[in-house]
Amino acid sequence: MYTIDLQSRTPIYEQLYKKVVELILKGELRSGDKLPSVRELAKSLGVNPNTVSKAFQLLERDKVIYSLAGRGSFVSDVTADSVKEKALADFDKAASEALKAGFARSELIERLGGGISGESNE
Amino acid sequence: MIELKNVKMDFDDFSALNGVDLTIPEGTAFGLLGSNGAGKSTILRLLSGVYKQTAGEVLIDSEPVYDNVSVKNRVFFINDETVQFGNMTLNDMRKYYKGFYPKFSDETFDKLNGVIKLPEKKRLDKFSKGMKRQAIVITGLASGTDYLLLDEAFDGLDPTMRIIVKRMLVDAMLDRKLTAIISSHNLKEINEVCDTAALLHQGKLLFNRDLDSVKGSIQKVQAAFEGEVTEKDFEGLNVLHFERNQSIVYIIIKGEEETIRAELEKKNPKVLDMIPLTLEEVFIYEMEGMGYDYNGIR
Repeated sequence: MYTIDLQSRTPIYEQLYKKVVELILKGELRSGDKLPSVRELAKSLGVNPNTVSKAFQLLERDKVIYSLAGRGSFVSDVTADSVKEKALADFDKAASEALKAGFARSELIERLGGGISGESNE
Repeated sequence: MIELKNVKMDFDDFSALNGVDLTIPEGTAFGLLGSNGAGKSTILRLLSGVYKQTAGEVLIDSEPVYDNVSVKNRVFFINDETVQFGNMTLNDMRKYYKGFYPKFSDETFDKLNGVIKLPEKKRLDKFSKGMKRQAIVITGLASGTDYLLLDEAFDGLDPTMRIIVKRMLVDAMLDRKLTAIISSHNLKEINEVCDTAALLHQGKLLFNRDLDSVKGSIQKVQAAFEGEVTEKDFEGLNVLHFERNQSIVYIIIKGEEETIRAELEKKNPKVLDMIPLTLEEVFIYEMEGMGYDYNGIR
């Protein structure tokens, strides 16, 4: 479930962060679900525990998960909608920057048509 | 915490370390990178008290290392030369190290050898190279030290052993805040295991940063501009490499992605694509910048 690409240019902590968000969006992780411990994840992925901690800290900062001392980390009461809202806000920001940089709307639409990777649930 | 303060190490007419300052906080897995002869092993030997530095200070938890047993029995050094006990058996070696490392765990040793199954009563000089390596690695992991130095120790291990070592490191880092220093040529391994890394070249430290920021520290840019551009147009940026193919330019620039992007946007590019370099590419360009030209050797 928690797969990452060790060859990727994307930092491992960032991949983990995105993975958790993705799992929530896909409904595989639900509000209140317990996440594996830092130890379990670091061992199963073969990565540094500090890297896993870093991902967890950022997820906690963004209120995607919360942790209970001695019990572990759990998925917050984030609905898929609120995550989607954040994704849209990020998109709007990037699009507006691209427009400012001189791209035409049609160019951005074209880019959406082909150049962007990612799976849709539909 | 490990501290090297302006450390110099000279051997007769050769200077292995030329003023190295380095701090490694506890609980980190630290990667030491560099070409052969860069000074990686010298640093590890200083930290294990094998050598005494020519000048400067080598401190572990604020105490000098050389000739200091109370520090040295908290450090285990895994390297090929450690296996000098030809006429000993694995059990003899365990007893020897157990006498030196007060927190040595027989339980861990037995658990590990339960998986690896090295013969306990066979002389070590009858072991194959790989078995010797395994013997010293499991002894090191069982020694219960706060500091573990691995001198290219990952490089000679088979995939199963690598996974075992990685998992043991995770436990030790979480349970007793183990600090591991791993020297390696294998950037893939360093990338997975370490959180921080330093690059050494000819006895000097080129950088010492957390790995995520190392990866984003150099950008590969592909861009097209209105009219002709030359390398001179990018003088304000830290350009490591410039190449032009008709209207497309390929530039390697040192710096943060956002700063570079903002600077390039001012030139109204028709096309601008940026990708951060992988650790391996960063390594090659940093070394090239220091005059270590691998292109010269073909």
